[in-house]
Amino acid sequence: MTSLFLEGTTPPRLRGQKCSVCNRVAFPPNPYGCEMCGAPVSALTEQPLTGEGHLKAFATTFLAPRKDMEAPFTVASIALKDGPVIRALMTTPTSETLNVGDAVQSVLVTKSEKPELRFTRMEKA
Amino acid sequence: MRRALSDLRPVYVIGIGLHKYQPASETTYVELGLTAIRAALRDAAIDFAAIESVYTGTALLGMAPARVMLRHLGASGIPIAQIENASASGSTAVRQACLEVASGVCDVALAVGVDKPGRIQLAQDSAGVPDLVTGHVPPFTHFALLAHDYMHRHGVRDADIAAVAVKNFRNAAHNPYAQRPKARTLEEVLAGPQISGALTRLQCCPVGEGAAAVIVASEEALCRFNINLARTVRVLSSVSRSERVYGAGQDPDTELTRETLAMACAQAGIAPTELDVVEFHDAFSIEELLYVEALGLCGEGEAAKLLAQGYFDIGGKHAVSASGGLLGMGHPIGPTGVGQICEVTRQLRGEAGPRQQPNATLGLTHMVGIGSVCVAHILTRNA
Repeated sequence: MTSLFLEGTTPPRLRGQKCSVCNRVAFPPNPYGCEMCGAPVSALTEQPLTGEGHLKAFATTFLAPRKDMEAPFTVASIALKDGPVIRALMTTPTSETLNVGDAVQSVLVTKSEKPELRFTRMEKA
Repeated sequence: MRRALSDLRPVYVIGIGLHKYQPASETTYVELGLTAIRAALRDAAIDFAAIESVYTGTALLGMAPARVMLRHLGASGIPIAQIENASASGSTAVRQACLEVASGVCDVALAVGVDKPGRIQLAQDSAGVPDLVTGHVPPFTHFALLAHDYMHRHGVRDADIAAVAVKNFRNAAHNPYAQRPKARTLEEVLAGPQISGALTRLQCCPVGEGAAAVIVASEEALCRFNINLARTVRVLSSVSRSERVYGAGQDPDTELTRETLAMACAQAGIAPTELDVVEFHDAFSIEELLYVEALGLCGEGEAAKLLAQGYFDIGGKHAVSASGGLLGMGHPIGPTGVGQICEVTRQLRGEAGPRQQPNATLGLTHMVGIGSVCVAHILTRNA
């Protein structure tokens, strides 16, 4: 399985996909075809998306959905500067420091052997 | 040529029956299902021999549960099929039964929903399209995110959303089939435990066991079986849709609901504001506010204020979730959509007792299934 992000840039970029038939930009990528127009996967090209955006909404979950997960964790709905709105885990387990509209960026976190992509609030300059 | 239900033969609900929704017990699904079906047959005053086709809405029982249950009613050799469409399984079973009668393939069809809690394995998890949150956005987190977005956009507080649950528990307290038949104060609903975001435990529906059954019939069958016309309810429209690609950041469940309910109203030839009773997929409190607005019962961002004014109470302008909804009556998955038809039929007959919306003439049912799919029916009093 290919990774969902590209390493080597700061912040890491996301592996988006662009449809050459209808121009839709989507994330996450898929190996099958375009959800908008039905073009086959051969029409989909990789379109790196910036790891920068802002918070549209977030929620801290206190009840672990599975036994192998730890709670609390915070998931956010993030509007990327490149257009798509995605959902991602935040680096902080709870959300006391977060506000709707806050600028956020992607960051790699190594919890087990493989790095995972999270988002973190950008400190105001 | 595409046709709506209203272009085909008229379809009537002639019998309804339920098994109480309840936490998982040792009662077999066969017992649950047979209880609901026998109640529906008694209600219609017909025998199982009159049933010509059966659709069983179920998501969690495993392969081929229907005949194992139905054979105890007298194995008559009729066509049967299971319908799995996530939370909309029961609604889809009703729709298929309606379509068979409307098309003339049969005159009397039964839709039954039955389930017991079991391991939920989503096909999406093995689709080979991972995302950044895999496993971290169960339904309560999904709707907690929508709640946060709604609160921010409309300046709504936690308590305004929790008020949905207070209303629905108040209704469920008068429903003998409800899994949570106890009225709750706002303080009790807000007290927690906190599940995700603004959603507390009592703002998330209980998933238990139960069964619901609905018998639909043609005009010919009404005559043949000497059905009491005053207790029949006509199905005006039946619409089923699946998610499209919406604009960036738009909530697919709300947009899918918006277009499905608009089609259901158009095909029934009614305006949404004419609806007296509405049963929504209120699996989480925030959903009712989103869907009330998507249906067009009020403008964007107005639902919480109108809810507080009693607009959606029994006796208000539109009774929403008079049964108690998924929050109060419960959400045993397969039965839920069928149970909504039972509630609306009861309301339109004027047989809902302490839950009765005065002079109820038009009712709507709505379910969303993960994926997402959406199924809606509009019913009207026949006499």
